[in-house]
Order: sequence, then structure tokens, then C-alpha cells
Amino acid sequence: MRIADYELTLKKRETLFGWQAAIISILAVIFALLLFSLIFIQAGANPLDAYKEIFDYAFFNPFGLPLTINRFIFLLLCTSAFIIPIRAGLWNIGMTGQLYAGALSAFAVMFAFGVKGAKFAEYPALIIIPLMMIAAALGAMVIGAIAGYLRGKFNLNEIVVTMMLNFIMFWLVSFMIKDGGPFMNPGGRGESFELPTSLYAPLFKGVPFTLIFALGFAFLLYWVFAKTKIGYQIRAYGQNPAAAAYAGISAVRIPLLVFIMGSALAGLAGYHYFAAVPGVYKIARSYAVLGDLAFYGIICGLISLGNPIAAIPVALLFGGLTNGGRYVQGKMQLGFGIDYALLGVLMITLVAFQFFYRYRISLVKKRKESLDV
Amino acid sequence: MFEFFVRSLDASTIFTIAALGELIGQRSGVINVGVEGAMLFGATLGFITAQTTGSYLLGFLVGIAIGALLGLLHGFFSITLGGDQVVSGMGIWIMGFGLTTYIGNPFTGPLGMDRIPALWGLSPFFYVGVALVIIIWFVLSKTSLGLQIRSVGENPSVAEVSGINVSKTRYLCSIAGGMLMGLAGAVYSLNYNPVWNYNFLMGWGFIALALVFFSMWNPYILLAGSLLFGTLWQLSLNPQLVLPGLFSRYVWRMVPFTITLIVLFIMSMKWFRTRWGAAKPEALGLPYIKE
Repeated sequence: MRIADYELTLKKRETLFGWQAAIISILAVIFALLLFSLIFIQAGANPLDAYKEIFDYAFFNPFGLPLTINRFIFLLLCTSAFIIPIRAGLWNIGMTGQLYAGALSAFAVMFAFGVKGAKFAEYPALIIIPLMMIAAALGAMVIGAIAGYLRGKFNLNEIVVTMMLNFIMFWLVSFMIKDGGPFMNPGGRGESFELPTSLYAPLFKGVPFTLIFALGFAFLLYWVFAKTKIGYQIRAYGQNPAAAAYAGISAVRIPLLVFIMGSALAGLAGYHYFAAVPGVYKIARSYAVLGDLAFYGIICGLISLGNPIAAIPVALLFGGLTNGGRYVQGKMQLGFGIDYALLGVLMITLVAFQFFYRYRISLVKKRKESLDV
Repeated sequence: MFEFFVRSLDASTIFTIAALGELIGQRSGVINVGVEGAMLFGATLGFITAQTTGSYLLGFLVGIAIGALLGLLHGFFSITLGGDQVVSGMGIWIMGFGLTTYIGNPFTGPLGMDRIPALWGLSPFFYVGVALVIIIWFVLSKTSLGLQIRSVGENPSVAEVSGINVSKTRYLCSIAGGMLMGLAGAVYSLNYNPVWNYNFLMGWGFIALALVFFSMWNPYILLAGSLLFGTLWQLSLNPQLVLPGLFSRYVWRMVPFTITLIVLFIMSMKWFRTRWGAAKPEALGLPYIKE
């Protein structure tokens, strides 16, 4: 293509350095946010004002910031849950189902201790809270292991399997908390029983302790991928499963392993949002909203290119954007679902930008062409 | 009971049309995991158009058109740009899910138009679905265009050498497939259940995707599969018609997904594959870049 004296050409990249990939990711996010201003304009709002409101509320407001951090913890865990399988070339889009499984398992522990309906009774938090977290991780692992095993052993498309499991778990949660299900709140408005106050997760300056786990696992994963044998095997499988098989890397074990590892983190995300975030402490009627939020994990994982540490700022950004988006939606009276629309715009922009990982555009100044007679 | 039977056929029709769209694309080697997204778009925009203009015809046309557009987009990402088809399909699904939730929200509620009249006791789309199955079977297995499509799906470089334009064929299939998915969505929101609600599909598109694997890429098996799953789906919505009082209604809603998983699991076992073979297009999901 030619623009005035310049010639636009496409060149195939031979190599892609980390910093180049990072720049592409950042450009993709900026482009998506620009594209998204169209939605603000269409809704009759000034995009600059809207973004300013979003960032102000999300990061500088004493009420907004804790909400952002809660979403950040949740998103970071979901992102890690997506990143582990994607490093092996597998798509875990079942974070939703896995986090539901985690939440249900955590509530099952409380149910077993007879917590239901006893909001102010004293319970040994030091025993029950760790048990809840372990149960959340284990419950989610079972769901994840199904997908991993079917993929590894029977080569079943993991996208279809995880999606089916998402729907199964969605209806299982409904069964448990509505219409007289075992976890239904005795008050009965189609939500689960509430946590007793003695089992509220410890807070540090208003931030749940699960933050430590989210950050800790991100760094741990980075180390696992960079330094350990198992990390190497996962990456090798992701690059080329056939070649990895020749090198003695099991084609059954790796999918199973990455799905188990990933889903355990998604299960913790379920524990975090349903049992550790101040002001929630139950599985609400509208639990689907949180399940949908987990899809941001896919976006964060793609933007951070499977790098668990790069995922930290990305998850923070999207925790803020979704939280602030909700806020301006109410404040500027925009239509419902601003955060869903942002999800859509971001995703398709990212897909388009994948192209630049493989090609680069160069602008070359051409000499004036002489008439070659 | 007759009512239940009719509704089941209606549900099957939607699965048939959507899965046929996916099947065409896959036979040409392009997998589109964003069926649900294309259906959501077709359903939502078709619904909005029909409600604002009062014309069913326009609604369906818009549904088909947006489907075609998404097919084109998927084609552009995965054929021209040579990107990962799964990434592009996921993009279409999540975009569909996100944007339609936002776009459709002001239109939440029933369509408020006269129902589309039945033809010989059944929804007219049932006949459309069956006709499409026969047409697509005929085109794919009896015409030179079908041979072209299948060869592109099996081995694009050989097809290219024998004078077939791989990109053009794949674009054609991707767009035609998208049109069918958009139509399936519009049939859902204009005929089957004319009420707009947040994320109303709840897995129809993904079951359609699974149906294509189930059908072993054969339109007739696909029709049989969608009859099975349509009935199952309808049963999960109204279990009281058949087995009153057994299980909670939420347990029934899990049934179609569980059975999908079990069926896919059985089909991927070794004895099944060695006995029935798998007609999976060899080049499915692989981008073809002319060097």
C-alpha cells in the first residue's frame, strides 16, 4: 500500500522479543480503549470524562479502591488458571465452572460443621478457613481433572469439555442454593446461607489475606516455568506435542497436570469472592456475574502472553476498569453491561493484534520514481 | 405430549441449522468455536430489528447478515491473517457475549408480535432445517464444489496445486457457515422463544459445536443428533411433562451437557474410532499460508 511518498510493507517476523510482544500488547489495550470510547459517545457521554471517572473511582477513591483490589485478586487467580494450560497450548475456558466448584466445596465444609443458619455462633476459624480453602482447591481440581484427562487420554476438544462443565456447574450452584437446595438461606431468597461472622477471612487494612496467595502463586508459577523440569516439560508440550512425546514427555500427564494446577487456582478464586470479600460472604442470587467476570482471565492471560508476573499489572488494570465501569454506568446513567461490552471489544481487538506477533509493518520512504522509458 | 414433541422439533431445528453452519466451515478446514457468539449476535440484532420495524422478514435477514459478517471476520482473521482459528473463534464468542449483553439490554422482555404461523402443525423452520441438511449433503458429496470444499479441508496444498483457490473456498464456507449460525440465532429469538434476556442462549452454540464432532462431519448423522439433543434440551426445560416430580428442575438443566460429555467421551474411545473411523478433516484448524 502506498501513502504519498511512503510505502507500507508487511514483513514476516523472524523473531519476536519479549519487549516487542509487550509493546504490541500495550498497543492492543490502548486501541481497544479508544475503540471503546465509541460506546461512550454513542451513549452520550464524553469518553475522556468517563475514563477519568473510571480511573478515579477505581484507583483513588476510598470506596472504589478496595473493590478494585478484590476484583484484582479474583482476576489474578483466574488469569493464572488460564495461563498454566495455555503454556501447554491448551485452552482452559472453564474457570467459571471451576470457581463455582471451589465456592460450593468451601460452603460444603461449613455445611459439614453445621454452620448453616448460625450466623453469630463461634467457630474455630483457624481450622475451618484452611479447610475451606483446601476444599475449594480440591473441588475445582476434580472439575479441571475431567477436562485434562479427557484431553490427554482421549484427545477430546478441551474447549467443548470445559464449556459443558461450566454449564453443569452453573446449574449445580442453582440447585444447591435455590428452591430448597441444601445450601439455601433459611430466609429463602434464592441465595446461599451466610458465613458466620467468626469465619470471615482475616483482613489487612480491608484487604483479604487471599491477596498473598494470588501474588504468591503468580511468582511461584513464574519460577516453575522458568526454572523447573516440569515447567520445561509444559512449555515443550505447548511448543510441539509430537516432539515432546519423542523426548519422553507424557502426552497424557501434561494436559492432566496443567488442568489440575490451573483449576486449583480457579477454585481459590471462588473461595476468595464468595467467602473472603467483605460485604459478600455468601453465594448471591446473581452469582453468574462473577462467573462471567472470570472470562476476563482469558483476556488478561492473552495480553500478558502467558507470563504470570506480567499478569499482575494487567489483572490490576482490568480489575479497576470493570469496577470503575460499573460505577460510571450508574453515575452517568449509561446502559447496563458496560463491563460486558468492554470485554467484547477488548477480546476482538486482541485477536486482531495477534497478527502483529507474526508480522510487522514498516513504513519506507520511496524515492520519486523516475519514468523508466 | 404432542405440544412437547412439537417444541422438541423446534429446538432441534435450531441445533440443526447452527451445527450445519459449523459443519460446512469444518469441512473446509476452518473451525469456528464462536458458534455461540454468532448465534447471540444473530438472535439479538434480529430481535431488535423485528421489534423496531415490525417485520419478521427483516429480522431474519439482519440475523443472517450479521452472521455472514462474523463469518467474514473469522475468515479474515484465520485465512487472510493466518492466525490461530481457536483464538479468533473465542474472540467472536466473547465479543458476541459481551456486546449483545450491552446492546440488547434496553430490549429486555418479550418480542410482542404475533407468532409465526405453523405449517402442518410444525414450525416452518423445521422444514427449512431438513431441506438444508439434504442440500448441504448433496452439495458436499455430489457436486464438484463439494469435492473442492472437502479437498481444501483435507489437504490444502494439494488442492492448491490442482487449481483450487484455497482462500476463496474457505472464505465461502466460513461466510455461508456464519449465515447459518446467524439464522439459527434469529430462529431462536424470533420463533422458538421470543423473549430477550441476558445471555439467553446458555450453551446452545456449544452444544451445536459438539454436535459437529458427534456427527462425524455427516449432515444426516447431524440431523439425527440434533433431534436427540433437541428432545433432551426440551425435556430439561419441561421435565414435569414426562417425569413429574423426579429431581429438581436445576438438575434437569444439567442433563443435556452431561450427556454431551458422555457421548463425546464414548465416541473418542479407541474401539469406537477403530470401528467407525473418524472422518475428521485432516487440515482442520490448521492455517494455510501460501509460501
